[in-house]
Amino acid sequence: MVGAARELIALLAAGAAGLVVGGLSTAFYFTLVGLGIGLAFHVATWATFTYVVREDRIELRRALVARSVKTIPRERIRGVDISASLPHRLLRLAVVHIDAGAEGGEGELNAVHRREAERLRRVLLSRARPAEPAAPPRRRLARMRRAWYVYAPLSGAYLLTPFALAGSLIGTLYNLGDDLGLVTQERVEGLGHDLVGLPTSVVFGLAVLFLLAMPVASVIVFTLFNWAFTVYERDGSIVAERGLITRRSVSLERRRIRGVELADNPFERRAGVLRLGALVTGLGDAAHRGRLLPAAPRRVAEGLAAQVFGAVPGPLVGHPPAARGRRVLRAVAPPLGVGALALAAGQPWVTYCCLVLAVLAVPLGLDRYRQLGHVTDGARLSLRSGSLRRRQVVVEHGAVVGWRLRQTLFQRRLGLTTLFAAVGAGEGGYPAIDMDEGDAVAFAAKITPGWVAPFLESPPEPG
Amino acid sequence: MDVTAVRRHQSDGGRPHPPRLRPPANRVSPRAIAHWMIEYLLLWGLAFGLSWGVAAWIADSRWSGLPGWLSGHVWWIPVAVGAAGLLMVTVAPVWRYRVHRWEVSADVVYTRTGWFSREWLLVPVSRIQTVDTEQGWIERMLGLATIEVNTASHTGSSEVSGLPAGVATALAGELAHRAHDLRDDAT
Repeated sequence: MVGAARELIALLAAGAAGLVVGGLSTAFYFTLVGLGIGLAFHVATWATFTYVVREDRIELRRALVARSVKTIPRERIRGVDISASLPHRLLRLAVVHIDAGAEGGEGELNAVHRREAERLRRVLLSRARPAEPAAPPRRRLARMRRAWYVYAPLSGAYLLTPFALAGSLIGTLYNLGDDLGLVTQERVEGLGHDLVGLPTSVVFGLAVLFLLAMPVASVIVFTLFNWAFTVYERDGSIVAERGLITRRSVSLERRRIRGVELADNPFERRAGVLRLGALVTGLGDAAHRGRLLPAAPRRVAEGLAAQVFGAVPGPLVGHPPAARGRRVLRAVAPPLGVGALALAAGQPWVTYCCLVLAVLAVPLGLDRYRQLGHVTDGARLSLRSGSLRRRQVVVEHGAVVGWRLRQTLFQRRLGLTTLFAAVGAGEGGYPAIDMDEGDAVAFAAKITPGWVAPFLESPPEPG
Repeated sequence: MDVTAVRRHQSDGGRPHPPRLRPPANRVSPRAIAHWMIEYLLLWGLAFGLSWGVAAWIADSRWSGLPGWLSGHVWWIPVAVGAAGLLMVTVAPVWRYRVHRWEVSADVVYTRTGWFSREWLLVPVSRIQTVDTEQGWIERMLGLATIEVNTASHTGSSEVSGLPAGVATALAGELAHRAHDLRDDAT
């Protein structure tokens, strides 16, 4: 059905590459044998794997040892991702990943021709027109600018990459050396002595080098993953493409996008940078696959959010001052508690450290309070919380599948409630922490009057 | 501004008062008290036994790593656990019974659960995906059942325990039927 030779080569190449990397730690001839078996296995897998696209379903058949037919109803397909690693790209091939809801059905088509992959995506996602459609127009919604890659160190997620890289490099070298008989007890001990014997200035210099390497490496890794990050619209789907070496493209069906999430941390906040993600129903690995912009100025991110989903409502309504004390207490209590335990256990130094942490936690708690907010504009609601990882979610009213109000004994005394909007997408529910009791009920009643109004207390009789 | 609109609607004589949820109409079965009591008794009995064992072990081993103020009073641990357990077994079930309430209106399942912390949950019938009834062995002894109403979101899924088994079965059937009729695919 597809270009057979290309698949074959791709699978051979992929199999060989995988086995070479994986086989480094075993002896050489074992590797060769393994390689041979692996090749045979891959060829057999490839030769026995077929797929058929039917009116209402796609069938993936495997018939190597155990026969299996995986049938995915086409109306259940929620997204089709296309990714291509370097060998795949060299051979103009791609991996098609079919996502069919949270519980179970996922299908993968390895090594189909890139044009076939695009065709499959079009066909699978446009169930209105099962026939081969003409190439639809694609409209670009947003694209990463070069300058934005510099925002990478702000997110913190990529800062530890130099350590990870150094660790894996040392591990690989050790394995390699071990196999070739280069690593002996004496040499390791000698190396340890050499390291201890190094002058302080050299150690210091190495440490500084590592610190300098952190932001640089984070930018590099970030760029590798998010190179030419482009979001475009096609056929009622939002497609996000990214990656320098492995190119990945994720399509999200527009009618399944229930909302967006705007996230940042204090550093990003200062720089005015946001991460934008989509809340999609039934999307596995949503944190990665729902990503719409990894780092972009607020204006751009909000613009894209408006195009993909709808305008971000604002400004947010703050929460009552009674909530401030609770946020500060919540921030200060953990270090104080640990400190008290340490004191009881007779570790005064730990206690001092905890006291310092507790003092530092006060501004954190205040900021957490400042970031609390909620608002609705009649079609979408927005909730915001968090400080070190601040998140603002915007959800359409129709996506709310229930309300949960939680009130602890302490909250009741202060007249506060935490309102959770249950949403069948993203994390399943988003809290509006420490709202005023009455405001919380009124907020829910405004968004879904039919559900809440029958359960409101009737107003007291006049007089 | 949004809030005031609802408040004004609720106001009487020009003095606005914030809207409040009234408690759901139905209590759970009084036998639920017995159920929770047995549950707590088993749980805290186990905790008490374990803490007794730990205390005996510490007292025997004369372990020197403990700070001085603790080593003399190891037997306070099981006593404290026992006291807490006793309080839980006697107070919590009654308290829970007073809080736990449920109501099913034309298109919403409304529940109130908890004791120390309370939770109100509003789940529209149209968004219900599955309705389960469950009976643990204590519940079977007492003729009770738990009904679980699941939506696409874990946060929006509710659970009412301590219903008489007959009521639970009938309710589950009715809810499933109505959810099927009303279903709008928000997910």
